[in-house]
Amino acid sequence: MSRKARTYQDSHSRFELKTILETGRTLIESNDLSFILNNLLLITMGKLMVSRGAILQYQPSENSYTVKRKKGSFPLEEGDFCQLQVSGTQKDYSVLQPSDLDTSLKLSDSDNFLLFNLRTSDYHLGFLFLDAKINGNPLNEREIDFVESLCLMSSVAISNSRMFDELKRTNRQLDQKVYELKTLFELSKDFNMMVDRDQIARTFKFAMLGQLLIRKFFFFLDTGEKRQMIGSSGITDKVDREQMDYLFNLDEEIIEVDEELRQQVPFLDRHKIEAVIGLRFQSEKMAVVGVGDRANNEPFTESDYNFISSMGNLALLSIQKTYLLEERIEKERMEEELEIAHSIQRGLLPSPLPSIPNLDLYAETISSRQVGGDFFDIIEVSENRHLLTIGDVTGKGVPAALLMANLQAILRALRPFDISMSEATGYMNDIIHDNTPSDKFITFFWAAFDSSQRIFTYVNAGHNPPILLRSDNDEPISLEEGGLILGAMSTMMPYEENQVALEKGDLLILYTDGATEAMNKEEEEYGEERLLECIRKHRDKHPEALYQQILDDIYEFSDQEQFDDLTLLIFRVN
Amino acid sequence: MKNFSINHRKVQSVDILELNGELDAHTAPQLEDHLKKLIDENQYHIVVNCDDLDYIASAGLGVFMAYIEDIRSLGGDIKLTNMNDKVYNVFDLLGFPALYDILEKEEEAVKQFQQGSNS
Repeated sequence: MSRKARTYQDSHSRFELKTILETGRTLIESNDLSFILNNLLLITMGKLMVSRGAILQYQPSENSYTVKRKKGSFPLEEGDFCQLQVSGTQKDYSVLQPSDLDTSLKLSDSDNFLLFNLRTSDYHLGFLFLDAKINGNPLNEREIDFVESLCLMSSVAISNSRMFDELKRTNRQLDQKVYELKTLFELSKDFNMMVDRDQIARTFKFAMLGQLLIRKFFFFLDTGEKRQMIGSSGITDKVDREQMDYLFNLDEEIIEVDEELRQQVPFLDRHKIEAVIGLRFQSEKMAVVGVGDRANNEPFTESDYNFISSMGNLALLSIQKTYLLEERIEKERMEEELEIAHSIQRGLLPSPLPSIPNLDLYAETISSRQVGGDFFDIIEVSENRHLLTIGDVTGKGVPAALLMANLQAILRALRPFDISMSEATGYMNDIIHDNTPSDKFITFFWAAFDSSQRIFTYVNAGHNPPILLRSDNDEPISLEEGGLILGAMSTMMPYEENQVALEKGDLLILYTDGATEAMNKEEEEYGEERLLECIRKHRDKHPEALYQQILDDIYEFSDQEQFDDLTLLIFRVN
Repeated sequence: MKNFSINHRKVQSVDILELNGELDAHTAPQLEDHLKKLIDENQYHIVVNCDDLDYIASAGLGVFMAYIEDIRSLGGDIKLTNMNDKVYNVFDLLGFPALYDILEKEEEAVKQFQQGSNS
């Protein structure tokens, strides 16, 4: 080799080495795929005086190639599919010649073009297509080596940039996932603090809109009483009952709206709703959420639907909670009202008990609930005349208490009129009968005690007969005369009144069935016999002490259990 | 009450909403009320200045989604400006930059509205 030739060759290889070095440095710093490909084409074409070049990217999923980048008059456009058939072993060649290829594909007019393999140790990435030099000559061996070196370096850079992109994408997906979780977490906290259903529905709506980039949204809720739309965005009209029911009755939880569903439910079509998600609470479908398309035109993914479900369930639970809360508040309010009713009812009873000449007395009523249907009253008509009454309204609780208050009012209202007890009882019966449902009755006993004469005049309207124990006798006398229970039918026959002359030491016990019908564990009733026995045993005690004895005896029998209202009035003539 | 407030001012014909503090599920209704009011008053050139916005949750972003179509269909727009990086990240993560004009400075947004209405 001549000296001149060697010098040329030396300087040429120095130049190539320098290029390779520079390219290497540039590529290491770049993760930009288009820069890498551009660089590879420009350097090889520029250095080797090639006027046509292209990068063919391998698509492993379709085992085909697309034109990723081109320079000069390459026959295909960027993005075009390239009908290149390459066998598996050829993908390991570093360079392919036209003779290696299926000739049906015309990449160049010349037969001197080359395909340089772009590959890493694991993957075939594609080819660098270089046509013959501008003067028509093929590349020489040394030039081929040079291009191969550049291809090798570029392949590593391409692979890195792909990994970098993949990593970026994965990272972003991860960030989005983390943000979704954060939103869920935050909302669960927010919902927890909310007791207003509208606020929950609105927050849910805005979170959906913001998180999924949607503009159309609806939220149907089944409140148990009715199904209604409690939140919406971009929806201008109401949905009819039938269409809403249709959506609630769909079996699947997540439904992408198709042509058939659009026809069934035109509401979905009208508002361009893309998907419908059902939410269940204890296996009942309680809510339906609808979402329109996304502003970025991306389809909903499985993960999006899961997100909608999770967030929807949170909202639904919080809404259910508000109903429970309301129920509890309502219950507390009712308890409070009952407490007030209780004190009003206590106020209706005579307190303190009046003192009546020639009579020791004690009276007490105990309700099984806050308010009861038993009552008694002791009314002074004049200094020597008192009315003693006891009654029991069917049933318990508030309805019984209302009726009891009504009877007491009638009784007190009738007091000033100069009419017989028989007549007065007839009036009371008619009023009660007219004013109350047919299944409400009152057993009622009342008496007028003339303390100067010690005359006891009474009417018994279906009440447990009071017991009269004469001072010298242990056999009780039942005070039964009167007539029908109050409220059963209008007064046909006048109530009978009866008179008893009382003497010193006579004992009178008035009671309601809460005393005699108290039950033990074997479901036996306490009964009149036991009551009588207890009275006989303690008959000499003061009425208040006797009352306590009877009560203790009943409670002992029933094991402290009280089922019904219980009232006792005890009088002894002195 | 959460730390959030909105200051409303006008720069020529453009309505500027300055958001202060944290825009989340609890405070989102305040922004909604402001946007509704502007629509009612036929004011559709809206710049939301986020200079003092410290935090934004999905529910806050949702308010923008709920009104953007109405406002654009009336020939207006909502432009967002002066976001700090943390707030921008949230907008970016959910894909807002492709749908909304998000600008560095309020002045740019005002200028764009004025050029738009002059042409």
